[in-house]
Amino acid sequence: MNAPATTLQAALQSLPQGASEAIVSAHFSPQFLQALGFDSNEVVPEYDTNGGGIVDKAARKTIGNDIFLHTKSNPYLLLELKGKDINLTEGTPAYLKTVNQLKRQLLGSNCKSAKWGIITNSSHVQLFRKHGKVIFPATQCLALEVNNVDKVVAEIRKKIEETSRALTVTIYNNKGGVGKTTTTVNLAGILTFLGKKVLVIDFDFNQQDLTSALGIPVSDGLVKKALTDKNVDLKSAVVPYKFSNKKLQLSFDIIPADNELANDSEAELRTIIKRSILDKKLDFARQDYDYILIDSSPNWRFITQVAVYAADVILIPTKHNNLFSLENAAKAIQKFIPEIQAAKEDGNPIALPIFLNGEKITQPQLEVAQQAINNIIVNAKKEGFNLRPYFYPKYTTAKKDLHIHQVPSYANIANAAFSRIPAVYRDRSAHDYYKDLAKEYFLQ
Amino acid sequence: MKISNILGSLMHLYIDEIDPGDATDAPEFLIKATAKILKQKGGRNWIPVIVKETGEDRYQVISNSFVYAVAEEAGLERVWCIIADDNDDTTTLTKILAGEEKPKINLSTASRDEVMAALQYLIEQPNSELKSVKLAVATNRIDEAPRQYWKNFEPITSLKCGITKGKKLDAIKSVFYLTPQSMPDTINDVTILRTMTTVELKAIAKKRGIAGITKMKKDALIEALS
Repeated sequence: MNAPATTLQAALQSLPQGASEAIVSAHFSPQFLQALGFDSNEVVPEYDTNGGGIVDKAARKTIGNDIFLHTKSNPYLLLELKGKDINLTEGTPAYLKTVNQLKRQLLGSNCKSAKWGIITNSSHVQLFRKHGKVIFPATQCLALEVNNVDKVVAEIRKKIEETSRALTVTIYNNKGGVGKTTTTVNLAGILTFLGKKVLVIDFDFNQQDLTSALGIPVSDGLVKKALTDKNVDLKSAVVPYKFSNKKLQLSFDIIPADNELANDSEAELRTIIKRSILDKKLDFARQDYDYILIDSSPNWRFITQVAVYAADVILIPTKHNNLFSLENAAKAIQKFIPEIQAAKEDGNPIALPIFLNGEKITQPQLEVAQQAINNIIVNAKKEGFNLRPYFYPKYTTAKKDLHIHQVPSYANIANAAFSRIPAVYRDRSAHDYYKDLAKEYFLQ
Repeated sequence: MKISNILGSLMHLYIDEIDPGDATDAPEFLIKATAKILKQKGGRNWIPVIVKETGEDRYQVISNSFVYAVAEEAGLERVWCIIADDNDDTTTLTKILAGEEKPKINLSTASRDEVMAALQYLIEQPNSELKSVKLAVATNRIDEAPRQYWKNFEPITSLKCGITKGKKLDAIKSVFYLTPQSMPDTINDVTILRTMTTVELKAIAKKRGIAGITKMKKDALIEALS
């Protein structure tokens, strides 16, 4: 073997077989962090996240006189190290445990400023992005070897140096009529109310519900042109939605549904656009908005796949009294979303835990729904897939917590579409329910 | 004389040396049926009674009093106990750990998630007084209220989240306590001003020397003060 050319390669080669965490920490992590652009006074070891436990390393660049080593405030990146004796191959128990550990650390109250988290044992490495409360993979779990370590670390460095401001959320359920559009509109409304800059995309061309719910004219080919012509920017299709009353003046942006795309058949669409097109075309918005919400069409059609491909995370509304909406949620999580992950090759999009949307739920109804969910989970387990965190996010081995987030819907929310105003701006309870959804899922 | 080196140790004490302290309120059936099973299954109370030392060979139960009552019913001569210190904090802690008392959280400083978890617990209790309270609505309104200044729980009743004076507010008091901050001298935060009564606002306005107070309505007062 040739002599190692870089310090990173040398560091990796110096590690003995089965090196313990202490050895990885002493002989690999300094070079690793250096290669990511952090000097020694920009790294604090054994950092207390306050609430999420101690993380092996926290890092932040010096800002003016604020040297992280001294102030220990506002970490930017957390690094959780393991020894080579711990197997971090994706899907192994040790991997899942380490990822959960990193997630808890990132949610510690000293880490509100943190944008990135990394797990590594020097044989594998994976990068995670944190946006508010949401943590999702930004790379796959990559194998590290002497001949790719520089390339992998350079890629990670590029990502953490170009942190996008926006979280892209696609609202999807394979089953129709579960309240995707209502969720999208009201989430956009409440996030805007809470001071976030929001872009909403109506990607359900056949129904165009979102566009009409806000009283926005449907686009006549403008969106299609932007998606198919590489010289046309998607920004050209953006329309503002403005709301004002005595107390409030709010506005968020919309890319309306497109009539021409609605008329194209599935086969035609596949010939003119690629599955990754929306993801690419949204680059213009990723630094301008805090949230990009995409309302997708039901069924696993090509255009739906385009919407899912563009997302960091998928929000899945379901209905407790609609077994198909629960089964379809499971199918999306187990089958469709991993399909897109595999094509995209950076570990996302991932599904957020489902929530129950719709009519008020009585205790017996909830028990029926839980029974149905339990069956779904058991069936998925037989196929080797653990759906529990997506249905019961609070369930742990020590605590059988079966709470599922609920957003009740009632006449006032459903009828809001007729007034062309999101329910959250008209109705105080709707305001509270969606604020609750936003805080539970997105805002820290 | 006190022997401190037995703290924390598991000891097989004579039951007549132990004073029952706060007796358990468990129903007779549970005590008798458990006592019977205890006798059938070997007669050893694997879950110990927690006691403190009150004198030479004298002890008092501080928690797991159910186990004590069962042991007594089963006619055990000696019962396995853990000796805790006689600190009041220890008594409170062991009672909470044993599930005999409800833990309380500080509403003046609690995070939104903590407030929500507490309310959810209350709402989901069987025969809950708060059954009709909507969790999301109540959580938001309590979380956003200036609760760090609350001296008592009365302001919750004016948040229009379905929690009224009486049994509902009593339920709230069973899981929360307050350590209020003093009100800052000059309040100009509109959200805080809005929670105050017109009389209180007029008093503040008077101190600040604002003219024409008597004829002002609440909105006008808030505007003048903010």
